Order: sequence, then structure tokens, then C-alpha cells
Amino acid sequence: MEKGVHRWVVDISKWDPSPNDFCSALSLLPQHQRSFVKRFVRMEDRKQALVSRLLQYALVHEVLGIPFDEITINRTLEGKPYLENDNAGLEFPNFNFNVSHHGDYVAIASEPLCLVGLDIVSYDIPPKETVLEFIQNFSSYFSSLEWDNIVNTGSCDGILAEFYRYWCLKEAYVKAIGSGLAYGLDKVEFHHTKWTNISVEIYGEDRREWRFWLFELGKGHWASIARGHPRSATESYRKTLKGSEFNLEEYHKGLNLPNVDFVSRTVEELISVLHGEAYNIPGDERNA
Amino acid sequence: MAATTGASPLISMHSRPSHFFQHGLATLRVSGLKPVSLSYYGRSSLSFRMRPLPVRLQVSCAAKPETVEKVCNIVKKQLALPDDSTVTGESKFAALGADSLDTVEIVMGLEEEFGISVEEESAQSIATVQDAADLIEKLIEKK
Repeated sequence: MEKGVHRWVVDISKWDPSPNDFCSALSLLPQHQRSFVKRFVRMEDRKQALVSRLLQYALVHEVLGIPFDEITINRTLEGKPYLENDNAGLEFPNFNFNVSHHGDYVAIASEPLCLVGLDIVSYDIPPKETVLEFIQNFSSYFSSLEWDNIVNTGSCDGILAEFYRYWCLKEAYVKAIGSGLAYGLDKVEFHHTKWTNISVEIYGEDRREWRFWLFELGKGHWASIARGHPRSATESYRKTLKGSEFNLEEYHKGLNLPNVDFVSRTVEELISVLHGEAYNIPGDERNA
Repeated sequence: MAATTGASPLISMHSRPSHFFQHGLATLRVSGLKPVSLSYYGRSSLSFRMRPLPVRLQVSCAAKPETVEKVCNIVKKQLALPDDSTVTGESKFAALGADSLDTVEIVMGLEEEFGISVEEESAQSIATVQDAADLIEKLIEKK
């Protein structure tokens, strides 16, 4: 099952495609995905959207071995992407993935059994507000414990960083369950020891079937991973899953799988993968 | 960033990450169905609803151009789009690249600018700038 756990990240600041390069990368994707990418107004958003899709198709192709032109990826009503293929990933009880992008990074995470949610934030200093004014906009999303932790951090920098870290975790949770919006995020309270051993209490209940991790990606970016029980998925996302009922033993196998580090990939590599070329990444066990 | 006119810290607002702006709403409008939108916390007190929703929030009462323009300006400011960028009533929030933090700030900016409070349910059906403007005028009327 470990083979289903993946974390890939792309630094898109390193990809500066000419219009031709961009089009040719875009043409690797099925038509409905191309239209989706093209509707973004800003080039940066188009780049992120394109790389996000390249990651999805490349991951499914590499990990599940499905021929590229047989891969169908759709989105739920709330916008969460999922793999449509019925017979895919038979070796995994419930293969699912999630993508995120922010700033310089686009990333994907997959799990063989548990739900996975991924979110990236970057430490952006609010341009026209003080830190306190900025975070006040979002106060209703935090429990009083979390809010106290945030505002009692020693410095403005510290406060902003704490805010982003909590926000990142909350987003990972929302994205794991495939919710289009989250009602009552102030009741989803995160506990941690210096941002390790991260756990969650929902409506005051300790929810041990969830695990969370926070990574520093570099350049002031963080990524969070949420791992949870498939039955926590919203209805529209649960319908896309292969399985949502697992006995305790099975579930714990999935829950306690090692959480791997993020592996850096380049856009050029992803394009090679989708062209069906083997690409050897030094130090990557898959190619050993 | 959003308007900073001494926002009251007590503005109540429902949790709203970007997703419904970025993905759900465009497809929502096509299907006409309200998505199961509330997080599954395993509690029976939260209800799941699936019922047909009119494709447009209001068929007959489109917002005044001034309102649309105000919304465009708030959005442009929040997303740091250049003044000459094309943001119109037709513009979809998702396509303009609003992320979860942007979305919250845009809605708060609209609430402040127009002195209204946007309910979660109504916010769900906003896909374009025009939709936001229409909703704003409806809420102003109600006041």
C-alpha cells in the first residue's frame, strides 16, 4: 500500500514557457481540461491550472499504470478532482488524490486508502493592511483557542505565520472531505506541539482517525497534508470513491502508512511522462 | 486587499473557503442543483439538501451598472488586477484566480461597501460579478 502514497511538488517559477511551449503542453491534456485551463484570465493562474492537471495525469499514469489516453479525471460539483476509471488501481483499496497551488508551487498528494487533502499557502504580507487588520477578516474561522494562540505569538511576523499555518491545515481538511465550503470551521480545532503531532477536535471531540502534517516547502511556502476516513467525505465525493467502509484494522493500516516527503518534479519531467517516455530521477526509488 | 475602513471585528460571517467560487459555482449553475454543501461531521443536526435551484438568482431584476462596477472594483483591488484589466459582469470569480483568502476578503469587502450581510446559502449561487451585484441589490432592498 505504501506505493500509493505520493507527494509531488513543482516549482513553477522555474518554468517560463513560450506561448508555443505552453500550447504544446496544454495539448497533452484532454479537451475538457484544456478549456478549463484557458478560462483563467491571468497567465499565472493558467500556468498553475495547467501544471496541476499535468501532475494529476502524470501521477495516475505512473502510479496506476493506466495508459494516458484511458485516464478520465472529472470534478465533483464542489470542484474536487477524482479519477473516473472503474477498474483503476485494483491494488489499492481506495486510491484518491488532491492538488493545490499557491505562489511558486503546485503540488499533488495521493493515498491508497485514506482520504487525502493538500493545501499550500505562502507567507504573503498584506499590502494594505496591518497584520492584525488582515487576520481579523478571518477570525470567524478559528476557535478561541486557536485565535489566542495566533494573536499571542510574540511578533507581527509570528502572528502572520501562525495564522497561515492554521489556515493551511483547515484548508487541507476541507479539501480532504471534498466540501465546496465548510460550515463551522471554528469548530474544527487543531492541536499541535510546535506544529508536529497535529491533531483535530471537531465539535469538541478528539478525532483520532485524522492525521495532519505541515511541511515547509521553502521560499516562505507551507504545505499541509490531511489524512482521514473515507466516510468523512461529503456525499458527492464519497460517490466517486471505490470504498468508504473499512474495518478498524484495515483503516489503521492506511492511517499509519509513512507520510513521505515531497519529491520535486519539473514540468519537463511531467511532459516526458505524459509523452510516454521513461524519466530517471536520481535517488528516486521508483526508478531503481 | 479588501477595503480597510475600520472593519468591525464583530462582523459575523460564515466560513467560506474559495472552493465554491473556484469550482462549484460554475458547475452549479449548469446543473441547476444545489450541491451537498455542508461538511460531513457525522452529526444529524446538519442537513444535506439537494433541490433544484433556479439557474439565475433573479431573472428579471439585473443590478444597476453602478453596482456591478463597484463589485468589479472591489474584486480588482483584492486580486491586484491592473485597472485596465477586463472585469465585467460576466467575469467568473473562479476564472479571475481568487483563492480562499481572496474570497473571504472579497465578500467582506462587499458586505462593508454595501452595508449588508451575505448568507452562506446565497453566497453559494454566486458565480459571476453580475450574480454578486444582483444579490447585493436584493439584500439592500430587503433592508
